[in-house]
Amino acid sequence: MPVHFAAAHGTLSSIWLLVAIPLASAAILLLFGRFTERWGHLLGVASVLASFILGLIYFFSLRGLSSPYRAASLNLFDFIPVGGLKVQFGLLYDPLSAIFVLLITGVGFLIHLYAVGYMSHDEGRRRFFGYFNLFVAAMLLLVLGNNYVITFVGWEGVGLASYLLISFWYDRPAAATAGKKAFIMNRVGDAGFVTAIFLMFATFGSVNFADVFNGVASHGAGQTTILILGLLLLLGACGKSGQFPLQAWLPDAMEGPTPVSALIHAATMVTAGVYLIARSNPLFTANLTLQTVVVAVGAFTLLFGSIIGGAKDDIKRVLAWSTVSQIGYMFLGVGLGGAAYALALIHLLAHGFFKAGLFLGAGSVMHSMKDRTDIRRFGGLWRYMPITWATFGLGYLSIIGIPPLSGFFSKDPIIESAFNRAGWTGWLFGSAALLGAGLTAFYMTRLFVLTFHGPKRWTEDIEHPHESPAVMTIPLVLLAVGSIAAGALFVYSPFNVKDWLRPVFNNPAAEGHEHIGQWWATGMTFVVVLIGLAIGLLLFRRGTAPQEQPAGPVVAAARANLFGDMFNETVFEKPGLYLTRALVYLDNRGIDGLVNGLAALVGGSSGRLRRTQTGFVRSYALSMLGGALLIVAAMLAVALG
Amino acid sequence: MSHSILAAAAGQMGTGEKVFFWIFGPLALIGAIGMVWARNAVHSALFLVLTMLSLGVFYVLQAGPFIGMVQIIVYTGAIMMLFLFVLMLVGRDSSDALIETLRGQRTAAILIGLGFAGLVCTAIARAMGSVSAKGLDAANQANGGNVQGIAALLFTKYVFAFEVTSALLITAAVGAMILAHVERRRENRLSQVDLMKARFAPGNYPGPKPGPGVYATSDSVATPALLPDGTFADRSVSKILPTRELSGAESAPKGTER
Amino acid sequence: MTIAQDALQLPHLNYGALAPMLILFGAAAVGVLIEAFVPRRSRYALQLVLGLGALVAALIVVITESGTRELTAGAAIALDGPALFLQGSLAALGIVALLLIAERTLEPGGPFVAAAAVTAGTEEDRTQAAREDAGTEVYPLLLFALGGMMLFVSANDLLTMFVALEVFSLPLYLMCGLARRRRLLSQESAMKYFLLGSFASAFFLFGIAMLYGFSGQISFAGIHSAIQTSTQSTTLLYIGLALVALGLLFKAAAAPFHVWIPDVYQGAPTPITAFMSACTKVAAFGALIRVLYVAFQGTDWDFRPVIGAIAVLTMLVGSILSVTQTDIKRLLAYSSIANAGYILVGVLGLSKDGLSSTLFYLVTYGFTVIAAFGVVTLVRDADGEATHLSRWAGLGRRSPLYAGLFTFLMLAFAGIPLTSGFTGKFAVFAAAIGGGQSWLVVFGVVSSMILAFPYLRVVVMMWLSEPGESTPTVSIPGALTSATLAIGGLATLVLGVVPAPLLDLTNHAAQFIR
Repeated sequence: MPVHFAAAHGTLSSIWLLVAIPLASAAILLLFGRFTERWGHLLGVASVLASFILGLIYFFSLRGLSSPYRAASLNLFDFIPVGGLKVQFGLLYDPLSAIFVLLITGVGFLIHLYAVGYMSHDEGRRRFFGYFNLFVAAMLLLVLGNNYVITFVGWEGVGLASYLLISFWYDRPAAATAGKKAFIMNRVGDAGFVTAIFLMFATFGSVNFADVFNGVASHGAGQTTILILGLLLLLGACGKSGQFPLQAWLPDAMEGPTPVSALIHAATMVTAGVYLIARSNPLFTANLTLQTVVVAVGAFTLLFGSIIGGAKDDIKRVLAWSTVSQIGYMFLGVGLGGAAYALALIHLLAHGFFKAGLFLGAGSVMHSMKDRTDIRRFGGLWRYMPITWATFGLGYLSIIGIPPLSGFFSKDPIIESAFNRAGWTGWLFGSAALLGAGLTAFYMTRLFVLTFHGPKRWTEDIEHPHESPAVMTIPLVLLAVGSIAAGALFVYSPFNVKDWLRPVFNNPAAEGHEHIGQWWATGMTFVVVLIGLAIGLLLFRRGTAPQEQPAGPVVAAARANLFGDMFNETVFEKPGLYLTRALVYLDNRGIDGLVNGLAALVGGSSGRLRRTQTGFVRSYALSMLGGALLIVAAMLAVALG
Repeated sequence: MSHSILAAAAGQMGTGEKVFFWIFGPLALIGAIGMVWARNAVHSALFLVLTMLSLGVFYVLQAGPFIGMVQIIVYTGAIMMLFLFVLMLVGRDSSDALIETLRGQRTAAILIGLGFAGLVCTAIARAMGSVSAKGLDAANQANGGNVQGIAALLFTKYVFAFEVTSALLITAAVGAMILAHVERRRENRLSQVDLMKARFAPGNYPGPKPGPGVYATSDSVATPALLPDGTFADRSVSKILPTRELSGAESAPKGTER
Repeated sequence: MTIAQDALQLPHLNYGALAPMLILFGAAAVGVLIEAFVPRRSRYALQLVLGLGALVAALIVVITESGTRELTAGAAIALDGPALFLQGSLAALGIVALLLIAERTLEPGGPFVAAAAVTAGTEEDRTQAAREDAGTEVYPLLLFALGGMMLFVSANDLLTMFVALEVFSLPLYLMCGLARRRRLLSQESAMKYFLLGSFASAFFLFGIAMLYGFSGQISFAGIHSAIQTSTQSTTLLYIGLALVALGLLFKAAAAPFHVWIPDVYQGAPTPITAFMSACTKVAAFGALIRVLYVAFQGTDWDFRPVIGAIAVLTMLVGSILSVTQTDIKRLLAYSSIANAGYILVGVLGLSKDGLSSTLFYLVTYGFTVIAAFGVVTLVRDADGEATHLSRWAGLGRRSPLYAGLFTFLMLAFAGIPLTSGFTGKFAVFAAAIGGGQSWLVVFGVVSSMILAFPYLRVVVMMWLSEPGESTPTVSIPGALTSATLAIGGLATLVLGVVPAPLLDLTNHAAQFIR
């Protein structure tokens, strides 16, 4: 059945307002400068709230449409008409976009609200809200585009906003470096995405979702082309979502203000990669190898992230590696295909709630601990910050998958689907996902216990930790409610996501291949989680040493990010550095690993090439003569040879 | 212009033309190489004159008397002579260093130059086998003569390009004015009275300046004259001449000695 | 022997369609007369009004003549869609550049030297540096250059094209040497540009001779028909094609004929650099596409790989070398080289799309780059413009508005969506893909990734470092520079968000006549 999106009419013909409102607010905040100093943050919050309300209205009008035609496509204007290629500035509002819109604006609104309190003492609050609104607008554009180019426009927009926000405190060198690293690593991913777009145009003659999917369905492209296309999109997705091998920027991005970490680097932007793959599901489903690669990336990253998460001592870094790992689950889900697409999306939504809640909770802790982030110097905080403790605890129980919290409903089915993948790979990926669940339980228990329980290990200057103001705790509570209810709501209620998304992933699930049954999977997972939890509890019940202790090879490796940076360093950076030596001035401090190596390579060749620019006109003339010789010889060789 | 020259048939070369070609061809080449090779700017200019004259002869030989004459009169006659005047006025002994400072520049230049020449020459030589030369006869007949033919082209097909050349000339003139003409401003202009006052102001020597010294060993303009008391007359040496002693910087070790 | 007068007929001249060029040449000649006869103090205003008036008039005439599709002046000039579009863009970009050139509030007397003939570094030079008046010869020279460029993009035979090349090159050489500050650098750059430009012209002329040897013609139509029908050896054709292309690629700043660009861009007065980087590119590529599409159509398979290799080399050289630049003008110069590579990619689409996307890119790039150099003129200290990158550290604190504008322009160069840089790149790459040249696009994407790094470094430098003692001030621009910046910035934004009207226009214009 060819994919076709009906034109929007009625209420849905105004979906462009979703993007326009936060964008207008961002423009006002950034352009009018000091005039908006007093009420700017309120405008920022209000604009996101307005988008959220609109999102709800649109959601219900979309529900009102009959099921097979549940999509609205809206062409605003011709964006880039180049000959045969007509790129339209068009929006698509379908069930998939709808839930992303609700997630972005809903969680976004709560985090905006929180940020009013969190940033109240910061001079740059107006600028912060300007960037923040810009981010929301770009993210909405990303999920609302009806073709890959518009998605890419949003994609770059969120990248830019994230870069600006990570380095928001530009006077901290670490923040500036992290911003740079994020930008450059994302460019690597973006290059994959751009190349994929051009390849689509070359293969299908269009970059519209509908045309591309129909092209795939009607075998308009060979399997190899689809594989390459998918791998390029996957590269883009890995860059944005912090998946292996482009994972290194995400933990460093925690240098930004905490609301940024919560919104961009936990709930929304980093899930853009999952969105991209889910959106391109006809393409990914069309090639089995491609799916296997996605699953492998997901499985590897989820283990990778959870192992490192267990060895970090910075509260935000633990959460960041946890994000990397949880997105690994989502990749696993979208890679499995079939019914698992919806599972991945459910996990994405649930994760959006509990991870945002965890980050905001971490922010609340830091707020009272004078911006310290070292969990070895926390402890016993539950007495002083009960609301934070309770909400953080709910998020914690949710992420490790204790029933009936949302993580249980979202993660377990993914593990089960992984086991039920056809062939021996099912056992492999299933075990990886299961092991990951145990590790998650371990590191999250460690984090929770070290922060809130056990003896106080505070630094001297902290006397009375206090609970955060209401403007910060209300979002915490609301998000905690979300992390309790979301899972059950999305799976069993009339709002269940599987049915809702059926028009998007219209391929009926190829079930029937069952290695293990549902109850087996759930039971096993539960046991593994309990083991992880117990180990964590036993080890860290009495606190931990405030300094780093000598450790065995596993922990040491995990502390060193599993040698990810070192791997990059030896494979990419060293050769590049040898090439350059000290030939050139190169501002490479702090951009490590892959990026550094590439930069050094480019810089090195740049330094060498630069020596041809002597400044003497006779040597310029000589190079022109050489060029003339080459061009004449080449022309003759091509034409006559 | 004799008809025997103009009558060279299409695609063929008369004996006379061949003889002239083999005389002037090498001359043109020698002139071109010599122009690049010569160390003295005046010699270079004269070599260039030789090349241009030879080219003029070629044009005439190939039934283009007008352009041949223009080549000789305008290029060799006017432009190159002007060039020589300027060289003479500026002084033929310009002290530009001819030592190549860029490593490998000369070798590379010679190699690439020879390569380019070799490539283009062999390619053209190969191509010539299948090219049929037309000659200018038909074109010269069409409008009743060579000059008339050129005129016809200039005023029909290329009239716009021809007119636009005037823009080029204006630009050149404006450029020359910009780069060479120092405007004397009214407030800087001195009257006769001012000039006279300046001449007899204290510190100025109103009489003619003494000439440089003339000795048995040297009559260079850089040698100062001797005053009756045996001291040097500093005024006898023009100030624009550089002092001939090595300065401290010049005699300092350059890092090239063993 | 009498001339057969009855046989000679002056060819038909469509004065209406030729009017833009005639207006500019005429105004330039009047400008020279003003230099000669009007007292110094009233020259500036007169020249500015004359120049702006002429350019606006030329633009209006181009617009009214936009339906013209004919060969005129004995088929020496082709006034077709691309020619008129490029003439219009030249006039529009020329107006913006002229505004920048005429700015006099940033330093007394503006960026041009009062008396260029005074030896640099002498006592007299120091006194003239403080003079409030400045040479106004630059205005007629600018008009001559623009007139030459307009002829260059509409020339329909190689001779006219060569004359046009010289007509617009000579004023450029002169204008490069007229900087008020750092005069030796400026004069050196003019000298280099002149020598290398003459060298390239010699190749061009040599190529014309070869093509004449092949086809017996120098008109594009003649060469085209000779390619189809001639039985002559094609060796001459290919040597000629290579050498003519060389002459044009030199002006277009493609590697390895790009060597003059950094030195000249750095040495020339910044407004002139802005003018060159926008208008010379338009002219050079306008001529290049005409030659390749009109005269050499039918040899696609032969020149495509060679020029494609040049495009790749250009993109890589431009982007890699820009990484280590420490001077903002040199950085922009290398970026301009890389952009020449991107435009070449579009040209090699060798289709209607290739043509229209190239036209589009030229206009978008022109506006962005003029605005970027406009910002460069603002960042100054006591010695004039502070162009060393380290001096730009912390500029974002000193002047958020201009640093913000410059950041936006840098993002446009880096090809971030919703800027004209993205749409332009997208258009040329899509055209190349449509023409089956995916390999060029791969290199294009890689090179633009590399190029994002130096742009980013400038942005980081401006925003994320503390302003030091040596951070220069950002001067408040006068009305003229403000207009330039506003036009350039707006064009960059608007052509990024709603490029469709301009793309429609280029599509409409993208048809050569022969």
